[in-house]
Amino acid sequence: MTDYVAVPRTAGPRLSNSAGWWGMVILVASEATLFGAFIGTYFYLRFRTTPWPPDGIPKPALVVPLILLACLVATTIPMSFASRAAQAGRLCATRFLIAVVLVVQAGYFAYEVHDVADQIHRVDITRNAYSSIYYTLLGADHAHVLIAVLFNLWLLMKLTHGFTTYRLNAVRAIAFYVYAVNVLTIVVFGTLLSARA
Amino acid sequence: MTTEAIPPVSRMRTERLELIWEERPGLLGWLTTVDHKRIGLLYFWTTLVLFGAGGIEALLIRTQLAQPNEHVVSPETYDQLFTMHGITMIFFFIIPMTTGAFGNYLIPLMIGARDMAFPRMNALSFWIFLASALFIYTSLFMGSAPNAGWFDYVPLASKEFNPGRNIDFYALGIIFNSISSTLTAGQFIVTILKSRAPGMSFNRMPLFCFAFLAASLGLLFALPALSADTIFLFLDRNVHTHFFDPSHGGSVLLWQHLFWIFGHPEVYILIVPAFGIATSIIPAFTQRKVVAFPLVAVAELLVVFVGFGVWAHHMYAVGMSTISMVFFAAATAMVVIPSTIQVFAWCMSFVTGTARFKTPLLFIAGFIFMFVTGGLTGIMFVAIPFDQQVTDTYFIVAHFHYIIFGAAVFPIFGGMYYWFPKVTGKLYYELPGQISFWILFVGTNLLFFPMHIVGLLGMTRRVSTYPDGLGWTAYNLAETIGGFVTLAGILLLLGNLFYSYLRAPAAGPDPWHGPTLEWTTSSPPPDYDYAVIPRVSSAYPNWDPVDRELDRRNLADGVLVLERGHEQPAVTPVDARFDEVVQMPHESPWPPILALALSLVFLMLVIGRYGVAGIMGIFCLLALAGWHSTEPQEQ
Amino acid sequence: MSVRKLEILQWFGLLGGALVWTAQHVVGYGITEAECGAGGLHWGLQNDVWQGALMGAAVACVVAAELAAITVIVATRRSSYESPPPPGRVRFFAIAAAVANVIFLMIILLDGFAAILNVTCRQG
Repeated sequence: MTDYVAVPRTAGPRLSNSAGWWGMVILVASEATLFGAFIGTYFYLRFRTTPWPPDGIPKPALVVPLILLACLVATTIPMSFASRAAQAGRLCATRFLIAVVLVVQAGYFAYEVHDVADQIHRVDITRNAYSSIYYTLLGADHAHVLIAVLFNLWLLMKLTHGFTTYRLNAVRAIAFYVYAVNVLTIVVFGTLLSARA
Repeated sequence: MTTEAIPPVSRMRTERLELIWEERPGLLGWLTTVDHKRIGLLYFWTTLVLFGAGGIEALLIRTQLAQPNEHVVSPETYDQLFTMHGITMIFFFIIPMTTGAFGNYLIPLMIGARDMAFPRMNALSFWIFLASALFIYTSLFMGSAPNAGWFDYVPLASKEFNPGRNIDFYALGIIFNSISSTLTAGQFIVTILKSRAPGMSFNRMPLFCFAFLAASLGLLFALPALSADTIFLFLDRNVHTHFFDPSHGGSVLLWQHLFWIFGHPEVYILIVPAFGIATSIIPAFTQRKVVAFPLVAVAELLVVFVGFGVWAHHMYAVGMSTISMVFFAAATAMVVIPSTIQVFAWCMSFVTGTARFKTPLLFIAGFIFMFVTGGLTGIMFVAIPFDQQVTDTYFIVAHFHYIIFGAAVFPIFGGMYYWFPKVTGKLYYELPGQISFWILFVGTNLLFFPMHIVGLLGMTRRVSTYPDGLGWTAYNLAETIGGFVTLAGILLLLGNLFYSYLRAPAAGPDPWHGPTLEWTTSSPPPDYDYAVIPRVSSAYPNWDPVDRELDRRNLADGVLVLERGHEQPAVTPVDARFDEVVQMPHESPWPPILALALSLVFLMLVIGRYGVAGIMGIFCLLALAGWHSTEPQEQ
Repeated sequence: MSVRKLEILQWFGLLGGALVWTAQHVVGYGITEAECGAGGLHWGLQNDVWQGALMGAAVACVVAAELAAITVIVATRRSSYESPPPPGRVRFFAIAAAVANVIFLMIILLDGFAAILNVTCRQG
């Protein structure tokens, strides 16, 4: 049941973000650092190898990844509106917008799984250091999109029973995670596509 | 808030709080607890046992090295011993003892909170820590303990040269343990930001909390590098990737870079909480505020931050170009400054205060001596040519043991004595305490100082024995004797505390006239920590009688008592202005259940059953779903 | 000066030097790896130019951060670092920043000049 007392109290001027939001920031900081280590590894290996990618490995594709990236990054908009709708107490709008984000993320993830499987069939992860870091970086990024899918699924299930302070905080925290994953994907794609230079 | 002289209306409120916050009794209570004090005690006992294990490994090492050409253990066993000693002492003693035990027990008390920000996650941290310790030690009992050093360099750690499961236990065990440490770090950061008592802005926060904030930020940003490294190692060994394989474009130095990007901040993470313990003990036993409070606070944060930039000073002998190495030499030279600021501040606090050299302060004095000695040799390593000469010798072993034992373990011992009355309600016996200090001081110096000399004489690290006639024998024998003297000191210390717990007189709430909030509540503290959320207007709240009187009136008037349920206030992060009241969770079975499911994942991974590991992962997700099926206000 | 302006200067003073040293350290070291590794040789990086530019930019930023910290310390001279927030907290962080930025400046100058004066890509 919606805790109607919770909605105006939380939708009103809170002075700062909740502990749950800060917890999500900490998680994102840790994961971003992990990706920093992966990206650092990519360039460290690249500085030692010429050519890059090594002979026999095609340069990464450009058009389809960029289209997919744009679709994923675009989920920032409905997620942001969902967060605002939640703070305003609009349950149906919140659920609808989160569902939109979920569908796009799930579609992106499903396509990427198929695409990575296809790439591995042509160039195995065990080929050399380039393929090792390429698939590790890409796989880690897709895993984080999957986590976003699971988060949104959980959120939708919780919101079938209305708002509480806890769920309102969860919407904001998970929205932050979605923004972070979108930024992370831009950085990862940029890194991998830099091999075309 | 002490229990003496409480008016009836206040007593009524405290009794209601006792009912609300009462911990479930018995074994089930301990298994499902989310109370920070109980979790702190669980960490304390567990890390003490693991300290014993690491100590036995050390004494076996010293016995093997006492004489030339000894055969106490085989070379293969010796490799496992020194590896497990390093792993145990760093990951399973110092970090969990300082953060898990001291931090968990004391941080909420010092900031005027009733619990951590995420109590169930706090419990999860402990159960994962315990599971990871059992995981790694399973390898020892299987004869497959990690055996390539705690730093585990490739290519020795690669499948080609280490085909058994030893290194897989290492890689997975480290990842497993780092989940616990990461959760703890996040916990401390959010708790310090959001759960401080209203009025405790950053300029009024105890230095202990600054130290733990610094260590937590260090853990948060250092552990991912180690996780990445161990993931790459596991993939190279089991999936045949080539991160570290030069013949396929990889690099063995990649392991070292990522390891030390974690490893150097890690050593500051080991000692900074101990700095926090020192800055708590010194004001209590000098009865003056710490000299240069803002500089000490920033120094604690700076030493960890700058420490992130020095990592390759562990790699001066690998053949990097000079222009690469100078970045790390410069940062290494400057990282000493924050430590020096703190040492001067502590010494000036001694000199300008009224020092009472009770046992805790003796350990802090010993810590300063050992830390400065170890720091002086650390400065020498800034000089790249000198460092290249002593790399992989016992000179390095001497340096880091002076730092780690002196700067981390001595304050831990001092802290045990200092907070013993608060945790147990009993006063320890002073004379055996002082004797234990002197035995430890003599023992550790006898154990570690000769290592400087024998290192300069050319004795290399990680050798299971050495031939006669090199002039190393007397020094090694002295070190071994020092090891057993140290053991005697530790046994006396633990024996004294145990006997004191059984027979010593009651301590009362504040035997030391300590400066921080934990001394305002009873010994031991009640389950709810504080009957009224304390008013704070300085970093030394127990020395503010006006605020303490206001607390007594607030309790009588029902202001900030928060007795409708499991409640504590949340504040704004920087200036700690009151923001809202939050509901806290009660006991929960989900943390140990999730830790168990995660253990099964890692067990399956180490035996190569990846599909089953995936299924266990689904159990983890189900446990998480169960965990979040009820919200705190519904409990 | 308004409290808001003081806060902005305080945060810039506290974080600016730290962030800019981090960038100079990571990018500076990265340049040495790139120019001395087989994969980066064809990029033709000029070590002295890059290190000099990085050092100059970093020094300018750290000096600006230090000036911001000093400005705040002067503006809050009638408060103590133990005073209630915001002035007490602002002064506290500014004192911390003033010390920290000096350390960052020394590191930047040390490694910047050393990276320029040493022979590029000579194995150590």
